Amino acid sequence: MKKRIAAIFLVMCSLVMVAAVVYADLKKGYYRQAELGSVRQTVAIELSPDSNYQVSAYPVPGADLAPGDGSQEVRIYCNTCHGLSYITMQPPLPAATWEAEVNKMNKTFGATIPDDSTQKIILYLQAHYTVENRKP
Amino acid sequence: MKVAERCLSRRDLFKSLGAVTSGIVLGRWLEPDAAMAQEPVQTAMESFTGPGANPHWNSVGPYVAEPQKVPLILLTDRPVQLETPRHYFRTTFTPNEAFYVRWHLDGIPNAVDLKDWKLQIEGNVNKPLALGLTELTQKFKPVSVAAVNQCSGNSRSRLQPRVPGGQWGNGAMGNAMWTGVRLRELLDLAGVKGGALQVQFQGLDTGQGPKGLGSSLFLKSLDLGNPVLEECVVAYLMNGEPLPMLNGFPLRLVVPGYFGTYWVKSLTWIRILNETDENFWMKIGYRVPDMPRGNTTPDDVKAGRVKMVPIERFPVRSFLISPDGGSKIPMGMNIKLRGIAFSGFGRVTRVEVSEDGGKTWLAAQLGEDYGAYSFRSWEASWTAKSQGRHTLAVRATDEKGNSQPDEPVWNPGGYLWNRIERQEIVVGSAS
Repeated sequence: MKKRIAAIFLVMCSLVMVAAVVYADLKKGYYRQAELGSVRQTVAIELSPDSNYQVSAYPVPGADLAPGDGSQEVRIYCNTCHGLSYITMQPPLPAATWEAEVNKMNKTFGATIPDDSTQKIILYLQAHYTVENRKP
Repeated sequence: MKVAERCLSRRDLFKSLGAVTSGIVLGRWLEPDAAMAQEPVQTAMESFTGPGANPHWNSVGPYVAEPQKVPLILLTDRPVQLETPRHYFRTTFTPNEAFYVRWHLDGIPNAVDLKDWKLQIEGNVNKPLALGLTELTQKFKPVSVAAVNQCSGNSRSRLQPRVPGGQWGNGAMGNAMWTGVRLRELLDLAGVKGGALQVQFQGLDTGQGPKGLGSSLFLKSLDLGNPVLEECVVAYLMNGEPLPMLNGFPLRLVVPGYFGTYWVKSLTWIRILNETDENFWMKIGYRVPDMPRGNTTPDDVKAGRVKMVPIERFPVRSFLISPDGGSKIPMGMNIKLRGIAFSGFGRVTRVEVSEDGGKTWLAAQLGEDYGAYSFRSWEASWTAKSQGRHTLAVRATDEKGNSQPDEPVWNPGGYLWNRIERQEIVVGSAS
């Protein structure tokens, strides 16, 4: 009997101690592993006191395009005038809006995307970037 | 802390309590991910928002470090479009290195050689001019104006239904003290000839598109009879420093009260036109319905019932900058609410805050007045009297009597959003 009481007492003490350790750890010294950020500090470029005012190249992190039929055409033609983040930044858009956007590139902005590639690009955007099919 | 690690067997505890507890601590170092699985972690922002409205104050892109800039929120990398994070609006003047960036064409200058660069004033003038930076800074009396530059599409990600375009949160705006030469002085020196209608502005940026199209040049024009011309400045200083390349070094047009689209960067040509500018960026782009607030519906647009006109001045807006909702506020603590307000139609005369989501309003204290076109800072004290989720709201009124409405705006370009802003604040128990 005495042994059992001692055992229960020890269990209760230990539970309090474990709980105390867990609580203490959340209040400070709480770390987690994280991905290395994409924003590295950059070294200032060399400056010379002449009349030329120059900055370094503008970084292009690019965009994570959905894989699929037509993505190659997007990389070739859309990328001529603008980066592909112009696509991935958009909210999910109706299929008709994507068609209008691609047609605007040809008709209003003078892009010379061949007809079959224009069609492939429209179908690609409609297959991956509408409310029905946009993936995170 | 994994549940399994908490459910220690009685036998383990009998063996050695000390060893068990230190083992748990050690285990957390060795396997941080497993040990932390149930604790709050910082989750990366989603990569896009929609089809609903963007629920965040800023847009959701990653941070990027561009030349002469602190890390800003990336919308697009080529051409560069960057949004200013909310906390940089704690000051009335937005730091140059945090100022938002919006270019239209991918041929953005990386270098300008001031030995060759000249501002050219040409077209229908008596005496065409070519002025180097030295002449602009030495031969003309410098003037300064504090003015907000806000992108026409600022807050576009709020619209319902969503529209294509730069999916800005609220950070496509900034306030700076711009110093330079009065546009009027330059126009008078060149001598505008009779019959001229508009003045066109062109920067150094070029696109890949064919000549004559909007994909080749970005051109903006203002009517010669527009009174805003008297307030325009060609600025070579931004907050007392040369402009960052991405904000338009060496010279930028400042059009106080007007949306940023007119503030042509790396301004190099000022051209007097005898006709109305019909280039893409005037005739098709940056147009809004000729309706109160530029408001319309998708159905009216589809039916061709909407008359569109060039966008001009920005409507009155105000923002709560801090607290930003990211931290809990203890109940009963008297805290400061801080923010900014501005209007393209004149001085902000009143800012009001609401602690009940907009049912009742209290006047906030206005900060220093830097002129009609500047950010006006505001401040208010607030004590949360109850635990829970509180919705703060802020609205501003300008000297013309324009006040922020509580209704949304919709137009196909995603322009002119100025609805009352709200911020949820979580108030916790203080004891």
